[in-house]
Amino acid sequence: MGLTGLLLVGFLIEHLLGNFKLLEDSTGEAFNEYVLWLKSFGPLLQLAELGLAALFLCHIALALRLTLENLAARKQKYVVRGTHGEKTPGSVTMFITGALITGYLVKHLLDFRFDERYFEDPAAFVKLTLSQPQHGLAYLMAAFVVGLHLSHGFRSAFQSLGLSHPALNAYLQKLGIAIAVLFATGFAVFPLYFLFAWNGPAR
Amino acid sequence: MSGDPTSSMGFTLKIWRQSAPDAKGTMETYHVADVSPDMSFLEMLDVLNESLIGEGREPVAFDHDCREGICGACSLVIDGQAHGPETETTVCQLHMRHYSDGATIHIEPFRANAFPVLKDLVIDRSAFDRIIAEGGFISTHTGSAPDANAITVAKDLAERAMDAAACIGCGACVAACPNSAAMLFVGAKVSHLALLPQGQAERNRRGLAMVARMDQEGFGNCTNHFECMAACPKGISVENIARLNRELLRGALAPRRV
Repeated sequence: MGLTGLLLVGFLIEHLLGNFKLLEDSTGEAFNEYVLWLKSFGPLLQLAELGLAALFLCHIALALRLTLENLAARKQKYVVRGTHGEKTPGSVTMFITGALITGYLVKHLLDFRFDERYFEDPAAFVKLTLSQPQHGLAYLMAAFVVGLHLSHGFRSAFQSLGLSHPALNAYLQKLGIAIAVLFATGFAVFPLYFLFAWNGPAR
Repeated sequence: MSGDPTSSMGFTLKIWRQSAPDAKGTMETYHVADVSPDMSFLEMLDVLNESLIGEGREPVAFDHDCREGICGACSLVIDGQAHGPETETTVCQLHMRHYSDGATIHIEPFRANAFPVLKDLVIDRSAFDRIIAEGGFISTHTGSAPDANAITVAKDLAERAMDAAACIGCGACVAACPNSAAMLFVGAKVSHLALLPQGQAERNRRGLAMVARMDQEGFGNCTNHFECMAACPKGISVENIARLNRELLRGALAPRRV
């Protein structure tokens, strides 16, 4: 769970950096060049895509097993559900945020990766899509949900992998929150920009 | 009120009653009076039971033994918190002065499939014994007490082993865990032996064997909420869970003799 999660964070970093190509120029040339560069890898890109899909599927399958086993481990629930104060909004919603991300991922792939119009002029297509409220707001929500997921997931992954040290744990905790905020705001920039600040396609 | 031993308090108690392991349980309401603020939570239950017995009713069954916070027998979830609201405090060391007079208090047993309810608030924690039997021991013949420092142990390792060995096996970690995981218990038991020279002989198989048994007993999986650490009456750190995870990796990678 932790290992696949951290590897997926690696993908998110690449994804976010790629996205910022959209804001490099107003013509979208930088982003389109980046898409062409990725495509130039040919079969290697397809291999990477397959690997990424396998990574997502592993993460989801492990999460399903973990959640089902954990739900089954306490059939008689507490009448009064309390807390000792360590649970966080991120930790208690991992499965829900994971399911939302999976749902959005399908929509996201259908919107871009599997829409043929996307490859005609990627930058223009992304801008047009995100400037539509139904797509832009969904992207915004997904950015927030990814942040919430990471607010627990990043720190948790290190603990599960046994990477824990009293001198480092406090920093890891802060780094986890920082990464959550970074990804949530980083990805939110694009729908916000194209919804509210963009002047529409160049005529 | 609080701190004055002559004052008397009263409470409304909502207690889980279950006549047998397979019976359906329910929360029932009781009123208890004449409770001194200096009574422990268990003594308050004793007062309730005395009055129930006087009325010819069935007393509330609950586990207790040493009543000085070291045996791990008491096992109540009070208002949704294992061992109640005080940190690093077992139920027997929780005193009624921490409650306001007239308060309503909910009392339930530790809940997990692996800890089946036997009666009312009494649970069966023998799953922990079976986990220990899989590896929570050393098989070296230790003989009589050795001379001090005959086996050198670095101070910090001895301290960390001692911190882990403070676990009294009460099961509050399981009760407090949203997933009913027993990783803090197993982590503590594996850690205290892994850190000491005497524990090295079985080190590579200990964690794997104990975790396999833990899974078999139907405990959940750790997702790092860390509620266990906050509920633990002995303040066992989740550091021990990370060490258990390292011990599992070490065990899995260790060469095997055929």
